[in-house]
Amino acid sequence: MTFKSGLSSARRIRFGWACEYVPVGGAIVGAKVGNSRVELAKHVLLWTIVVLTFYPFIFMFITSLKTQSQFELYFWQLVRPFHWENYVFAWARVAPYIANSIIVCAVATTLILVVSSMSAYVFARFAFPLKEVLFYAILGIVMIPGTLTLITRFVLVKRLGLLDTRWVLILPYVAGGQVFSILFLRTFFASIPEELFEAARLDGASEFTSCFRIAIPLSMPILSTVAILNILAQWNDLIWPLVTITSEHLQTIPIGIAYFRTSIWQPETGQVMAAYVLTSLPLVVLFFASMRTFIEGLTSGAIKA
Amino acid sequence: MKRRTVRREIERKKFVYLFLAPTFVLLLLFEYYPAVSAVYHSFFDWDGFYVNRFIGLANYREILFDDWVLRTSVANMLKLMAFGLGVGLVMPIFVAEVLFSLRSIRWKYIYRVLLVLPALIPGIVGMLLWGYIYEPTYGLANQLLRAVGLGSLAREWLGDPKVALYALMFMGFPWVGGIGVLIYLAGLQNIPQEVLDCCKLDGAHGIIRFFKVDLPLIMGQVKLNVIMGFIGGIQGFGVQLILTKGGPGFATMVPGLVLYDNAFKYGRMGYASAIGVCMFVTIMGLTYANMKYLKSGIEYQAKS
Repeated sequence: MTFKSGLSSARRIRFGWACEYVPVGGAIVGAKVGNSRVELAKHVLLWTIVVLTFYPFIFMFITSLKTQSQFELYFWQLVRPFHWENYVFAWARVAPYIANSIIVCAVATTLILVVSSMSAYVFARFAFPLKEVLFYAILGIVMIPGTLTLITRFVLVKRLGLLDTRWVLILPYVAGGQVFSILFLRTFFASIPEELFEAARLDGASEFTSCFRIAIPLSMPILSTVAILNILAQWNDLIWPLVTITSEHLQTIPIGIAYFRTSIWQPETGQVMAAYVLTSLPLVVLFFASMRTFIEGLTSGAIKA
Repeated sequence: MKRRTVRREIERKKFVYLFLAPTFVLLLLFEYYPAVSAVYHSFFDWDGFYVNRFIGLANYREILFDDWVLRTSVANMLKLMAFGLGVGLVMPIFVAEVLFSLRSIRWKYIYRVLLVLPALIPGIVGMLLWGYIYEPTYGLANQLLRAVGLGSLAREWLGDPKVALYALMFMGFPWVGGIGVLIYLAGLQNIPQEVLDCCKLDGAHGIIRFFKVDLPLIMGQVKLNVIMGFIGGIQGFGVQLILTKGGPGFATMVPGLVLYDNAFKYGRMGYASAIGVCMFVTIMGLTYANMKYLKSGIEYQAKS
């Protein structure tokens, strides 16, 4: 046996052409069986990770349909009857916070997109005095930790009389969020063919028109990515609204939900979980809604390769 | 002569500065001014409003020599960060490698969508859910232990000074719910097919290929995540603020929360600013070291 295989390998070396055929018999077939076993192991591993990652959220959803006694008696399983009224209860309490968050995110993100598109546009397309210095002035912000500026920014907005208004959230979000947005958009704008702008200029378009009628419409996919990343950061922001907003009716969802459980309504566990589900939904909906824009943006327009 | 051409150039490119104006007005007002003001006030005994007395380096002396709460908090932060960076790198890279090696394209896509979904759940909801998991009576952790007959191990996870910090580390298990996996997967998919073919020919499989080829080629992503991990780890305190308030005792105290408490609880904004400056210096140093010593293999890749 050993001798034979030794011979065959010797033959393989001598007759180069044979090398494609020799291993086919044993090695490849064996490898295939082994490989599918390996593939299966990978799936098992990945599913374990997925289930472990999702379990808290699944538990949250299951519990959100229970009354307190159902929760205590049937801790693990999903039991009938489902108590969708938990959602009615939770919605009445968290809807105002969600509305506040939506207003703040919508205004702040829109402003970020406008402001950072304009800056990214000039950084991508023009040479001008001080360009380098100004660009590094923007890049440098990344290094400044948020906690360093937390206190003095608080004192600043207090002096400006912005405390406890929506602007106290919106303006700093725009100031901070534009930094990475500019970096992202600049790279993308730089890749738009110069000929398009040339054509627009010949047709008498101003720089302002070129930016808003050419660069921005062509950049919908990247703009929606930037928008989603900004919205995520703002939707999750906890500390800034906590220190700057004192009126209940202006508060955003993270703080609203953080103290929901110990609030005067004394919600049951199921109701709390329903509130958590409601808090999570807007972003999930946004993501699936914008996935379509992603694809549309990618498949239409003038920049098909 | 030269000055005049520059001036003319500026004149001609007026619109450029007009376009940049909103960005820089906002940056100066809400980023640069607060940063400079924080450095300035770190030399003062300052309550933010009335008391404002120059005290030189006294704040820094207190940070270095007298503030044992801060010292405890730094130790906690280092443990949290070491663990967080470790699992935050190993788990996503591992999962990304497994995903990358998966044969079925369809399943690759399915897992990718599944793994991006948890990133959409607001961080606060994740934190509060883990707060529930650690509940003493009806918490998932204790219920699970009781169900498998290990009820004696059940405890008040966040209320026990011996385990509270470890409980915070364990949060988010198995530590892959985020965009980390996607970032590394994208990095792996960017490796040119020729390179992978070469590996196959040279017989570089598994671990060898991972350390000699894959890892150097995704070093750019690794570096970025390490920097972000440092920046987030040094100053983060959201979890502590919501779940433990740094307690029990000071078992889960972190520098960010010491800063926050000093500024907004005790009105010591000058001192808190000094802590902020120390964080800033640390972050700068680490970012620099990271840039310099974690060599990136990204130059190797052809520009697409």
